[in-house]
Amino acid sequence: MTDSMRNTMKNHVAIAAAATTGFVAKNSGRSQTSLAAQAAIDVIRAAGLSKNDIDGLCGSWPGTHELQSALGLPRLTWSGNPMIPIVDHIATAAAAVHAGLCETVLVYHAAYRAAWNTGSALKDPFRRIATPGLTEPQPGPDTMAAGVGYTGWASRYIHEFGVKREDFGIVALNARANAARNPHAAMRTPMTMDDYLNARMIREPLCLYDMDVAVDGGDAFIVTTAQRARDLALPPALINAAVLGQVAPNEEDQTVSLRANGQQVVVDILKAKSDFWIDDIDVYFPYDGFTPITLNWIENAGWCKPGEAGEFLREHWDADEGRVLIDGRIPVNPHGGSLSEGATQASGHIREAVHQLQGLAGERQVPNAQRALITAGGFFFNAQGLSLCTE
Amino acid sequence: MSITDEALVERFPGQPITHDNAEHYRGRLRRQLLMNRCAECGRWHAPPRPVCPECWSFDIEATPVQGDGTIFMAIFLHQGPPAPGVDYAVPYPVVTVELDEQPGLRFTSTVVGADNDAIRIGKRVRLGWIDRAGAPVPVFELTEVAL
Repeated sequence: MTDSMRNTMKNHVAIAAAATTGFVAKNSGRSQTSLAAQAAIDVIRAAGLSKNDIDGLCGSWPGTHELQSALGLPRLTWSGNPMIPIVDHIATAAAAVHAGLCETVLVYHAAYRAAWNTGSALKDPFRRIATPGLTEPQPGPDTMAAGVGYTGWASRYIHEFGVKREDFGIVALNARANAARNPHAAMRTPMTMDDYLNARMIREPLCLYDMDVAVDGGDAFIVTTAQRARDLALPPALINAAVLGQVAPNEEDQTVSLRANGQQVVVDILKAKSDFWIDDIDVYFPYDGFTPITLNWIENAGWCKPGEAGEFLREHWDADEGRVLIDGRIPVNPHGGSLSEGATQASGHIREAVHQLQGLAGERQVPNAQRALITAGGFFFNAQGLSLCTE
Repeated sequence: MSITDEALVERFPGQPITHDNAEHYRGRLRRQLLMNRCAECGRWHAPPRPVCPECWSFDIEATPVQGDGTIFMAIFLHQGPPAPGVDYAVPYPVVTVELDEQPGLRFTSTVVGADNDAIRIGKRVRLGWIDRAGAPVPVFELTEVAL
């Protein structure tokens, strides 16, 4: 099969604005709709738009029908409820804009601590009601399905390359160091390698700090034509290319290998369709729902050879800054990632990329950032890539 | 003698039983590990699907496997979902085993009768059975006990 290299929307669609509520690793006392609505209102205002300008709506939770009514968006000509992570939402909204189904899409994602995430979330009766299937009988522990699968492949990664836990740990340390510079992040207390190594094991070989942190909070985006974006309040972040990569089989325990999964599709196609690749970017966002995902993205993207990402991150650790700066200049998840800003299914990664390209990243700003690469999602049915650039 | 769909679901509360995997669960009640095999091209696949992903034949047969294989992934749960007889005080092993029937054909379960230190990727295993909440569960045992 020959991969198609069509990319007719390249640089014709833009993210015109991004906004966040910020994130907390505790029960916020708010609903998911409330969090999404706050981010949505902030992003519409930041772009200099009003509710009458929104004709497309795209998100997973709450459903678009609910958020439309909550915000009183009068008329939509398109809406979509794609699957997480959020590159799917951005890509689908961009495609809808480019195809002419609508012109200006509000994309949103509200992270919400489900009742099965933590003991304290379970104590919130409203969260119990809001968590589907909570009272149903659950299948037993004899499975690699869902998040457990990343631990399975972590065991495989250790087996194939003989790496140590420190290789996972440096991903967590970098995330935490970056979060200290991000007032919106949930986890900002400094972390040492000893803290990491002594943390509670959850699913061995992964510990508490190998897993992203369940949070309450929302992000929202305005996706519109590049032409329209140029007339709005902020400089546009152009969508250079987007890929949702998937191979068969893609179940957690049937996936062929760490070198034969959706990540390879994303890398092959994004590299071919984008105008730039890793040597030319200013900021990099590898997904970090679990630390082994980050190591494999770094390897599969071509920064280093398989099994060497931990060593690569150590080599590029900037002692003065106390974090990774690739070649002394490219930060990795400068917002703190899902591990320390909060588990946003990559909405945080994309929002930070947009803010970096708009010069709005505050203390984290990469000087004159012009190109960002996001490799989101994991190994199975959710690997995604997005390249963004300035005009 | 096959039990009804209604009775089958009652025997396996919480398991996501469908028209496509019900025969696998019926096999468990007979302590047989059934995996899907295509009657036309002979390829195995997992988890159970309604069609052969290789040749698109719908002539699929839930077929017993020997259950011998090699550990492909191995993890140890220090916490996890409630299950009868599982308290996680000793971390609970979960392994994905590559079965001898076909390269890449894998089944995930636990390992019984072995110290966690001995449960490692690359170790040979065979099929065993335990009972949980009155229903048989396919598990693995190490073929050679570690010295």
